[in-house]
Amino acid sequence: MKGITKKYRLLVLIAGALWLGGCSDFLDESDPSNFTVENYFTKPEHARSSVNSIYLAMRDPIMNSGFGGADWAMTEFATGLAATDLGQAVNSYFIKDLRNTSDNSYGRDYWASYYKGIANANLSIAKIPTITMDAAAAKKILGEAYFLRAWYYFNLVQLFGSIPLVTEPISLTSEQLRPLQAPAEDVYKLIVEDLKTAEAAGLPWVDATGKVSLGAVKALQAKVYLTMAGYPLQKGAEYYTLAAKKAEEVIDSKQFKLFTSYDDLHNPTKKNIDENIFMIQFKTQIVPGTWQGFIIPYNKNISAYSDETGGIYANADFVKSYDPADLRAKEKQFFFTKFTNQSDRNLEVNLGGYFIYKHFDVAAQTTTANSDLNWPVIRYADVLLMYAEASNEVSGPTAKAYDAANATRTRAQLPNLAGLSKDQFREAVWKERWYELCFENITWFDMVRLRKAFNVGTKQFDNYVGHKFSYGPVLTERELLFPIPTVELKNNTKLVPTKGY
Amino acid sequence: MGLVFTTGFSQLATSQSIAFVAAPAKQYSSVRKEMKLKNALLDLQRHYKVEIVFEDRLVGSSLVTSEALNLDLPLETNLELVLAQNGLKYKKIRRNTYVITESKAKVAEIIKTTKPEGAPSIEMTPVEINGIKTIKQMMVVDKIVKGKVSDESGTGLPGVSVVVKGTQRGTSTAADGAFELEVPDDRAILVFSFVGYKSKEIPVGAQSQMAVSLLPDENALDEIVVVGYGTVKKSDLTGAVGTVKGEVLQERPSSSLNQGLSGRITGVNVSSNSGRPGGRANIRIRGASSLSVSNNPLYVIDGVILNAVDLQNGSTPIDYINPNDIASIEVLKDASSTAIYGARGANGVILVTTKRGTSNGGKVTYDTDFSISVAPKKLALMNSKEFLAVEDLAYKNAAKYDPVGWATGTKYTDPKTKRTNPKLFDAQGNPLYDTDWQKEAFQKAFAQNHQLGFTNGNEKGSYGAFVNYRNQDGIAVGSWQKRYSARFVFDSQIKSWLKVGGTLGYTDQNEKQVDQLDGGGITMMRQVLEELPIIPVRYPDGSWASNRDYPGMEGGDNPLRVSADRLYFLRTQTMLGSMYATISLAKGLELKSSIGTNVINQRLDYFAAKGMQYISDNGDAYVRNNRYNSWQFENYLTYYKDFAKIHSINAMAGLSWQHVDRFENQATTQGFSDTYFQFNNLGGGSSPQAPSSNGQAYGLNSYFARVNYGLLNKYLVTFTGRLDGSSKFGAANQYAFFPSAALAWRVTEEEFMKSIPAISNLKLRTSYGATGNSEIPAYRALAGMGNYNVIFDGTRNIGIGISRMSNPNLQWEKTRQVDFGVELGLFANRLSFELDLYHRKVKDMLLDAPLPLSSGYTSIFSNIGSMENKGIEFAVNSTNVKMGDFTWTTTFNISINKNKVLALSGGSDIYSGNGVIRVGEPVGSFFGRVHLGTWGSSELDQAKKYNMLPGDVKYKDLNNDGTINDNDRTIIGKGIPDGFGTFLNTFQYKGLSLTVDLQYMYGNDVLDRSIHSAEDRQGIANSYKTVLNAWTETNQNTPIAQIRPINAYYTTNNDSHKVTDGSFIRGRNLLLAYSFPSTVTSKLKLDRLRVYASVQNFFVITKFKGYDPEVSNSSAPFDQGLTLYDYPKPRVFMLGLNIGL
Repeated sequence: MKGITKKYRLLVLIAGALWLGGCSDFLDESDPSNFTVENYFTKPEHARSSVNSIYLAMRDPIMNSGFGGADWAMTEFATGLAATDLGQAVNSYFIKDLRNTSDNSYGRDYWASYYKGIANANLSIAKIPTITMDAAAAKKILGEAYFLRAWYYFNLVQLFGSIPLVTEPISLTSEQLRPLQAPAEDVYKLIVEDLKTAEAAGLPWVDATGKVSLGAVKALQAKVYLTMAGYPLQKGAEYYTLAAKKAEEVIDSKQFKLFTSYDDLHNPTKKNIDENIFMIQFKTQIVPGTWQGFIIPYNKNISAYSDETGGIYANADFVKSYDPADLRAKEKQFFFTKFTNQSDRNLEVNLGGYFIYKHFDVAAQTTTANSDLNWPVIRYADVLLMYAEASNEVSGPTAKAYDAANATRTRAQLPNLAGLSKDQFREAVWKERWYELCFENITWFDMVRLRKAFNVGTKQFDNYVGHKFSYGPVLTERELLFPIPTVELKNNTKLVPTKGY
Repeated sequence: MGLVFTTGFSQLATSQSIAFVAAPAKQYSSVRKEMKLKNALLDLQRHYKVEIVFEDRLVGSSLVTSEALNLDLPLETNLELVLAQNGLKYKKIRRNTYVITESKAKVAEIIKTTKPEGAPSIEMTPVEINGIKTIKQMMVVDKIVKGKVSDESGTGLPGVSVVVKGTQRGTSTAADGAFELEVPDDRAILVFSFVGYKSKEIPVGAQSQMAVSLLPDENALDEIVVVGYGTVKKSDLTGAVGTVKGEVLQERPSSSLNQGLSGRITGVNVSSNSGRPGGRANIRIRGASSLSVSNNPLYVIDGVILNAVDLQNGSTPIDYINPNDIASIEVLKDASSTAIYGARGANGVILVTTKRGTSNGGKVTYDTDFSISVAPKKLALMNSKEFLAVEDLAYKNAAKYDPVGWATGTKYTDPKTKRTNPKLFDAQGNPLYDTDWQKEAFQKAFAQNHQLGFTNGNEKGSYGAFVNYRNQDGIAVGSWQKRYSARFVFDSQIKSWLKVGGTLGYTDQNEKQVDQLDGGGITMMRQVLEELPIIPVRYPDGSWASNRDYPGMEGGDNPLRVSADRLYFLRTQTMLGSMYATISLAKGLELKSSIGTNVINQRLDYFAAKGMQYISDNGDAYVRNNRYNSWQFENYLTYYKDFAKIHSINAMAGLSWQHVDRFENQATTQGFSDTYFQFNNLGGGSSPQAPSSNGQAYGLNSYFARVNYGLLNKYLVTFTGRLDGSSKFGAANQYAFFPSAALAWRVTEEEFMKSIPAISNLKLRTSYGATGNSEIPAYRALAGMGNYNVIFDGTRNIGIGISRMSNPNLQWEKTRQVDFGVELGLFANRLSFELDLYHRKVKDMLLDAPLPLSSGYTSIFSNIGSMENKGIEFAVNSTNVKMGDFTWTTTFNISINKNKVLALSGGSDIYSGNGVIRVGEPVGSFFGRVHLGTWGSSELDQAKKYNMLPGDVKYKDLNNDGTINDNDRTIIGKGIPDGFGTFLNTFQYKGLSLTVDLQYMYGNDVLDRSIHSAEDRQGIANSYKTVLNAWTETNQNTPIAQIRPINAYYTTNNDSHKVTDGSFIRGRNLLLAYSFPSTVTSKLKLDRLRVYASVQNFFVITKFKGYDPEVSNSSAPFDQGLTLYDYPKPRVFMLGLNIGL
């Protein structure tokens, strides 16, 4: 019976091993590759990293450029001043032809990205104060977070109108997981407050690294107040005053200046300085810009990029409406119509349209196929024209207003404006905005806050509603907003669909 | 597969004979000049398909000269011949059973160990026997019992084991059934057992002369089926389990288990979705049960669970199991059989048993096959003349479709003016080339496969070593697969109470693939369709030609360059090992402890040369490493007992730990100015990208038990339960319990059935139970943060921001299944039917459910939604003709499954891949517009309302809102079939057999997305010839829009025009095999020699116009039947050889 004893001894051994193996923490696993919200926000460095993450969402709609279209083209096609040859990017056609629907992925991407930016800002704003760190440093870092939250909300409220106003981190049990829409006025209230906080955060006037600067904060304040003065809030004179004041502070800081050459607008060495007050950051080989293929003609073999999609170019009627003397409309300033063949740079190719040179990366297109360009958000030219517009509304065309309005005209080799009435000056500044700031995701926002549209035939401003695009479609009240995306309406049934969609 | 019978009757002996009976009919003969008597008997047994029962004691190591054997003569003649040489004789006790006995009637008395049921038959060492014997002899022997054992007809039964219950004392009966045994006292109980008969226990009492009659056990000669953590006789099975034996797999050699399994088992739908070497199979057991997590079954190889991991390019761990190593596959389908795998059993379980050593001496086997694959079909693509004509026509129509652009005078150029490249055109602008890219890109592909097996062993232990080499070229030039694998197994009965065994398998597989999933971008298969016929492969100077050489094209490179310069190598090494120990604790009680491990190392090497259009501008390379380690430790007790032949209990209880960890890292570099380094020196590129790595781990801790109870061998009940705990779930929901119950009634065991001899088997069974699915990624219950790349000052900065919302309530997906089955055998099972009806409902479906985007999150894994599968499985096996040496057998099976989504979060549709998941509809429904043809000239005004012109595609305005947009989409088809099955006929005449294996599927559609580029857009790449039927003023009744330059605008959508009925009948395999008779093999000193020739995929009948309707190259879970530049399935001509010695 020796075998039997042995066998039970073995059994006891195994049973012992089983107990050892069955220790109670066997099912405890933690994620080694990612922090969790619970174990983060313990060090000053975490404040920086947390705020860095807020910036990312600005980039998404710009990055998303390809055969399927480009999110950033949404507000360009909506102006009636853009054309496309990219047949499969149907979303471009829907917007361009004013047949847009709430299914449009461009709008959905803006909504998704910017709310993600807001969520990251909310997390930073909620958690950074819990980190033990230098108070001034924390305040400065939080200033960036407040600015960015304001920037995202400002874009969302202009695009979609009445929207959910989320200001806290969201969990599965949050009431704000499925929020109601807040009136646009409430959203603007938060934006104004956030920007005031950012303004007081101790940020430097200029940040050449591309982070939020005081210049950016004040420039955005000017834009927010100018917009609040117009539609839909129509807060009028008080806000024109505020807008003029903030723009003036930027101008008077003497920290910024116009480039002398339009080439510098798409010159990688001029990032974040002089005219470029605030930009979305890209870097060749690390995070190169992806829109180069989208802004060149359809398969004309002019580029080192193989994807030449003809995604967007300027409507010829618009370019032809520039003053013939305007430098900006001349070849290879804002636009280009000819380029050389990629395999033979001596062979000139007629592009068949006015393609956008403003965002054209010469080195990437001709050799590297890897772009180093930033995407502009706020240019000094914009601030100058905001000042001219706002101060004119407050006190008519002053000398300082003329200086501001004429700066870009001078660069365009156009004669100075002079001796205009308040109304004439207003329209002249608008026109200058259209010509100077085209294809920078600015014009449509101007159209909506002014409820005006530039008629390239008459070269006058039509009312927004009823304005007929040069290629036929007519704007209606519906087009004052982009529709809240279908997917969001389905996942949050508390939302009211945008009128007309 | 031989039957080894010793006087100590054991369960294993039974199972061995059972396994033999279950083996498929095949000619198998071997007689050599001099051989072991035992082997001769085993060979005869195989040849004549009978059972020969013998004691090792008698047959032992006797040798026979067997030259005189003639297998054409009756068995009896041959038996006499070999037995007479050793003073033995045989007795035929039943139709198919022969017992070997000694010539002279002699009472054998030996004292043997009695073994618990289920343990292998092993004699104890002589020392111990002697020891015991000595002890026994010192005991008082007070009684000698004599007797005779007879069968049901009163004839004496030789070889019956007679044992004193509870002791190791026993004997076996002599040729006439007589026995004589010393028993300690009157209280002794004698146990009589014999293979094929029901055992009997009789108290000795006062009697000294016993007459015992044994009754045959009709079910003893039964197939043994592997179930989770044990085996069961097929007749005792209460659940729905399908079985395929290795011999059957060998009829259609394939490179993966999934391919081999296709069509073998009802309810198991195998879609072989790619024709590349190794293929890519999608396997669903009783339909899909999950929306967000895996629908793949759980694979268990010799007890080791392969964890469902997402390997590269859609491969799964089962792809790296060498099919030649498989002895049998069991597919567990209903809840009763799958519940033992609890939280991981919801998608069905595939149990694989690999080949083991042999228990009857050394064997060498060599199996090889050679094949040539060809593309069975060419699609109709335009030639040079047609392409240029279409381009001219497009230009002609530009003004109609884009008056604004035409008016600029610069947007469109006459294509005739650009035909000036002297490399492509002659002076008149006529093309120099007319390339057939399908001819260039497809090749006759050669493949070879070699499997060598060495096995040896006896009743005490066995071992086997198996090596395999497989080398297969794909029909697409440049694609191939090579596999080396080796496996070693051993099983050893170390002590009478201890058995130890193990398996160690290693596979090294290298592949070059050209068909990446989700086919967008430029792939080789896309360029086969799109490359211009006017372009050559290479110019006379040897440089590659490209579409870009002709201006205005969407200039992809030619398919041969894509194949040659875009390298995608997948290198996988897997190690699968396990060890077990089985300890007999008492009679009927056994402990099995096993450890297993599966290690997968996979490396993906990628390189794309600089300047490849749309693939790489500057030369890209990356290396991605994935490592998956998993181990498991399982222990379970099995208890078996029969109570007075009325009750039988087979119980099992155990516990298990499993742990899985995975790690992946990738390094990418861009900027390779030449092609020398490829991926072998990532430092050799100018622009290294940020590396990445990620680790994940999870553990499972489980407790499981099963009780099988049988009453009178007629009524069978099974209860199964498993308690599973997983680290993937929140603390509150880590554990869940999955119970099941099953009931079976063997009607033919009832007295009233005995009067209906035509019905040889009738069993009704039903089961109900719960299983789970937990195949979500790890850590989903935690609020994970993610890494963000942001640029400041031109350098990379790290952001840490939100990534996933925590869901502490996350738990298992639960599936409940009810099954009802009937098994019917007629005329001695010559005709047999099996029918199963089931209803499978999943609730708490794990769904990566969308969140309101205003939260900043897009989705969260939640338990939402419900789905059902209802189905019928029916199989018939029939021996239609059996006349002399000729037999004709038929197998027909059909599986019908209806899937329906019952509930989703908030009731909203989920868009998945190209389909929609919508309540009330089956998953895998294609979603798109309704194509009504083209607008006619007479419909100008109506077309205008939709911004369309005559000649444009006409879609149905489903919501009648006057515009056509995404709201006008509906369900336009479904990729998942209504039913599928197999119709297989085998004709056998002596050693020659012909198998015709047909596969069919119906009710499935194919969405051909290749039409998007090969038909919707012309003039920038080559197109299907169908565009020649485009709309013109005189050809208005056509689905194809008028040709126009694509920058004038065009329409392309997933629509009903791209959907065709994909029902098909496929000639899956035509096999002609010949097994050489023993007269030949014995001359060659071989055990076995079989040659065969086969044609796989020898025809396909379908309405689908593409390469093959059984297709998908999408990674989306329900995109079955979706094609976008698929790799065609080849027709395979194969020659094979099986040798055994």
